[in-house]
Amino acid sequence: MMDHYSLPHKIFLYVCVALFLGFILLPFFEMFMTSLRPLEHLFRSPYQFWSDDFSFKAYAQMWVTVPMLPRYIANSMFISLSVTALALTFIIPAAYAYARFDFKGKTLSLGIFLAVNMFSGAVLLIPLYKLLRTYGLLNTYFAMIVPGAAFLVPMGIWLLKSYLEKIPRELEEAAFMDGASRLYTLRRVVLPLAVPGLMVVGVAVFLSAYAQQFLFAITFNSVKEFMPLPAGILEFIGFQSVKWNQMMAASIIGILPVLVIFLFLQRYLVAGLTAGALKE
Amino acid sequence: MATLQLQNITKSFGPTPILKDVNLSIEDKEFVVFVGPSGCGKTTLLRIVAGLEIATEGSIIIDGKDVSRDHPIDRGISMVFQSYALYPHLSVFENIAFPLRVAKRPEEEIKDRVHKAAAILQLEERLQHKPGQLSGGQRQRVAIGRSIVRNPKVFLFDEPLSNLDAALRGDMRVELSKLHKSLDTTMIYVTHDQVEAMTMADRIVVLNGGVVEQCGTPMELYLHPRNKFVAGFIGHPRMNFVPAMVSRVDDDGLHLRINEHNTMCLPVASEGIRSGDHVELGIRPEHMQLDEEGPIAMHVEVLERLGAHSMAYGKINGSDPFCASLPAMAEVREGTTVRLSIKPENAYVFDENGIALQRLGALQPA
Repeated sequence: MMDHYSLPHKIFLYVCVALFLGFILLPFFEMFMTSLRPLEHLFRSPYQFWSDDFSFKAYAQMWVTVPMLPRYIANSMFISLSVTALALTFIIPAAYAYARFDFKGKTLSLGIFLAVNMFSGAVLLIPLYKLLRTYGLLNTYFAMIVPGAAFLVPMGIWLLKSYLEKIPRELEEAAFMDGASRLYTLRRVVLPLAVPGLMVVGVAVFLSAYAQQFLFAITFNSVKEFMPLPAGILEFIGFQSVKWNQMMAASIIGILPVLVIFLFLQRYLVAGLTAGALKE
Repeated sequence: MATLQLQNITKSFGPTPILKDVNLSIEDKEFVVFVGPSGCGKTTLLRIVAGLEIATEGSIIIDGKDVSRDHPIDRGISMVFQSYALYPHLSVFENIAFPLRVAKRPEEEIKDRVHKAAAILQLEERLQHKPGQLSGGQRQRVAIGRSIVRNPKVFLFDEPLSNLDAALRGDMRVELSKLHKSLDTTMIYVTHDQVEAMTMADRIVVLNGGVVEQCGTPMELYLHPRNKFVAGFIGHPRMNFVPAMVSRVDDDGLHLRINEHNTMCLPVASEGIRSGDHVELGIRPEHMQLDEEGPIAMHVEVLERLGAHSMAYGKINGSDPFCASLPAMAEVREGTTVRLSIKPENAYVFDENGIALQRLGALQPA
């Protein structure tokens, strides 16, 4: 049997999984612990795992220290959702075209998309900055949304294309025989069937947008009102002291929406990312 | 309600020719079956008629109008796909209503027509189900429902029964024949199964390698195949082919030497055939008779008792594979040799190029 493991084998596997999860999750755990500690306990030496006066005070105080915090959170959501919506409007038709049509330069352009994915936005920050300055777009939501969406379109096309390719061609031919136009077929037949794939792409784009907005925010924007949370929490760094515990509390609040989305959609994510890996 | 002509249809995918100069004329209300082995171009031909592929050359004429470049909907054609191509996210009702929704028909009319189609196909109970909850035969009927709901002039079927199990396939064959009678329209049906072709067709078109080998009623093809390919393809089990040499040609027909000891005289047209020519004798398994004096000695390797009759598979002349259909209770055992005979008027003769010689003694199809 393929899935029968001996006991030492099992132990080895679980140790590996535990190590990996520990590596990934310990920062989150420490983040949470930090948010509960009083500030003066943070830099005790030697490191003390247990503080006597754990409390959720930081979660209350952070709104006072940084009064704009709700605005930052709203900005974060707004920017990420806008990036997702904008990116999807380009990803869906493009992925459909790549999945269904043959045209000159198809393979080449797909290769270029993949290559673009290999650059992080950071490489292009300075040219983008100059561009946005020339057009007078610095310090706007536009500056944080449009470049962010542009970087995510190639990834989305790749993800969605492979999903759309699995939808049987005969369904579209049947619709064509019945007089449906390409767009009608896309709307009534292809997209409803691609919902799990759209979920995967949507969530992947949203998460990436959420993660990358910090870079665009601190480079292209200096207006406080437009700042997303990752840039906004820098305000916990004061002239006198750094309110680490409150900063961590705010970070956790910032991660929360992503976490919730993940929990709700993980069924789709797992199915979507592995679907088609095996012949059915 | 529609006649259909295919004129000089040629199709290649890149340098690969798929169809070569196909000409065909289909009468109004005819049930025509395209049949042939896989890769013979029958599905491509159907897709060209449907408008899913564009012919490299040639034209399609429906009711006297050239529709070669028209959209399927303007051709008045609908198609049932091999995989049924039902929309899995829509209910049976919405699947059948799809063409009407595309055409933006009023809600009342959609309801009315879907219910009518469902009544014909006995799907009224299933209208709210999703295709995933239906059996294979029901899905098949939904696919048919979707194609009849918009009253097309011509129906196309692409191997619609190939996904069903054998018993259901038999039932659906009968249902499709009934449907053809009740709808009274032109139908074109593609299959690789010669039984489906024989049982349902008004006319069969046998395709091979992109060429129409022969076109005629089922019995025409059975009794008077034009060549070896058609003779081998139509009829089950396959016709046996036995090499033979012409020993004499006279007014009675051809005298063939079929083995060391025996000759047979066959009533066939013999123009251009001279004694000494090599030909092939075609013998259908169902025409063989057990006969102790018979000229053919068959070594039986496998015997299949099918109930109604028994099929014997073996070899003659030491190496040529041979099959004979024998009476159910025939006293034949595997590993023994039996002697068989055939009535001369039941045999077929093919010349060196595999072209059938005209049979003079055989029945003429009605």
